[in-house]
Amino acid sequence: MRGVLGFALVLPPLLVLVFLVILPAISAVITTLTPATGVVTAAPLANYAEVLGTRTLRTDIVFTVIVTLVAVAMVFCLSYPLALYLRFVRTRIAALLGVVFMVPLFVPVVIASFAMITFLVGHGLVSTVLFRLGVERFPRLVYNATGIVLTEVWVSIPFAVLILGAGLQAIDDALIDSARDVGAGPLRTFLAIILPLNATPTMITLTLLFIAIFGSFTIPYLVGGNAPQMLGVTMTNYLTQYLRRTESATMAVIAFIIASVIGIVYVASVSRRERAAP
Amino acid sequence: MQAAWFLAVGGLRRALGIGALLALAGFILGPLATLLVWAFAGAWLFPHLVPEFSLKWWVYVLGNADVGKAIRMSVLSAPTATLLSALICIPAAYAFARLEFPGRRLLLLSFLSANAFPKIGLYVSIATLFYRLNLMDTFAGVVLIQLVNTLLFMIWIPTGTFRGININLEEAARDVGAGPLRTFFQITLPIAMPGLIVAALFAFIAAFDEAQGSLIVGTPNHITMPVLMYALVLSYPQPVGAVFSVLLSLPSVILLLVTQRYLRAGYLAAGYSL
Repeated sequence: MRGVLGFALVLPPLLVLVFLVILPAISAVITTLTPATGVVTAAPLANYAEVLGTRTLRTDIVFTVIVTLVAVAMVFCLSYPLALYLRFVRTRIAALLGVVFMVPLFVPVVIASFAMITFLVGHGLVSTVLFRLGVERFPRLVYNATGIVLTEVWVSIPFAVLILGAGLQAIDDALIDSARDVGAGPLRTFLAIILPLNATPTMITLTLLFIAIFGSFTIPYLVGGNAPQMLGVTMTNYLTQYLRRTESATMAVIAFIIASVIGIVYVASVSRRERAAP
Repeated sequence: MQAAWFLAVGGLRRALGIGALLALAGFILGPLATLLVWAFAGAWLFPHLVPEFSLKWWVYVLGNADVGKAIRMSVLSAPTATLLSALICIPAAYAFARLEFPGRRLLLLSFLSANAFPKIGLYVSIATLFYRLNLMDTFAGVVLIQLVNTLLFMIWIPTGTFRGININLEEAARDVGAGPLRTFFQITLPIAMPGLIVAALFAFIAAFDEAQGSLIVGTPNHITMPVLMYALVLSYPQPVGAVFSVLLSLPSVILLLVTQRYLRAGYLAAGYSL
């Protein structure tokens, strides 16, 4: 009886998911397995062979993976110390930092991208300040991979700090103090106590960051260059400009497969915690 | 806070604090500050540090008929999508947190797919479906696209919130004779409210922010503000985009100020750790 009620309550959002995500996704997969019109004898994976055989597209896939990994690494390296700082320090500076790092959470991505362009562009604020300081030659900061990474980092920091911070909050102060009592230094305490105890939130943060950045469209579309580009933009161009629906869908499926591999890590780390819980 | 010794060693604390504050504040606030200056700049020529100030771009943007239409479209569609999402998702979240039914965990995880499948791959197929249902270039079509983007927030965060409520409170209410509905509305819902408000805030921002799908489904007559922003960024003078950005940020800033006291890291984290 309760099982039926539970399922009935879950049904409405599930229907939305099925009709607007799962069925369209399946339909996209079917499109990619259907040979192009006129070709009768093609193998079922012909579209995948064609996409993966196109050099520019292969470059875009590799570019997307590299940009995503670099951005995730940067977000992580900035967010972990910040989360530690906010967890352990209770000063006015810390409180102020806590407000500042939340700001990007409430800025629409379109605006974040545009703000980054005005900030980093050749005659923008950063260039002007560098020029005034006497630096006249520096690498281009926008309309390339650097711009994409910087904007992705800007947008993702709050999310990473929030999730990592909540994990750190759950670690008992007494545990950390007892580590010192038995003679462990800060580094040892961090590596032996804090890092392992915060492992699940860390995995969750890394995997969700990867999925979000890997599939992003607006940031690379506005802040990125022409080529190589991230898959989100390439797919959209193939669809709306070259009107090549099948190739676009094939890229979407390839991207989904890559994201799913990362998604499995997420599911695994979440379930390990669930099993560990009493 | 005894454990603060952990970062207090060897001047590390002070160096970390001041260095991080300056670097992070510069990196985070710099782009927004530039944007704000641009919004009030008549012209800002390299290499001047300060522009000539002017309000002429505000007059230009606010006098534009397309801008008015986009603002009306966004202000109507995003709250509709958020409200709809809350109505269907909050009961579901309660079921995920409290009731046992087959496939519960798998179904809960399946909502991640809404954010893992590349959107453009979906929109191609959704467009085909919407053509058949006469939903292309309609208000309902745009709301449905925005709704998809809110699902993950509106399911996961409330599920974590409901799960965090001590079940004894609900059982105590039942013991003194309250029915299940009364228990939910008088005990569970008030306790869960801060978490639900955080979820609604994220859902609203996700709906309001949606541009890629609305561009495909809403063109040409149902253009939202972010969709118009693409055009403004790519083909208008910089101050026009800046002025419009300030307008586009207003709803989130207002919501942030109103809901500020509910924003605790715990609600978001509880949702994502399932």
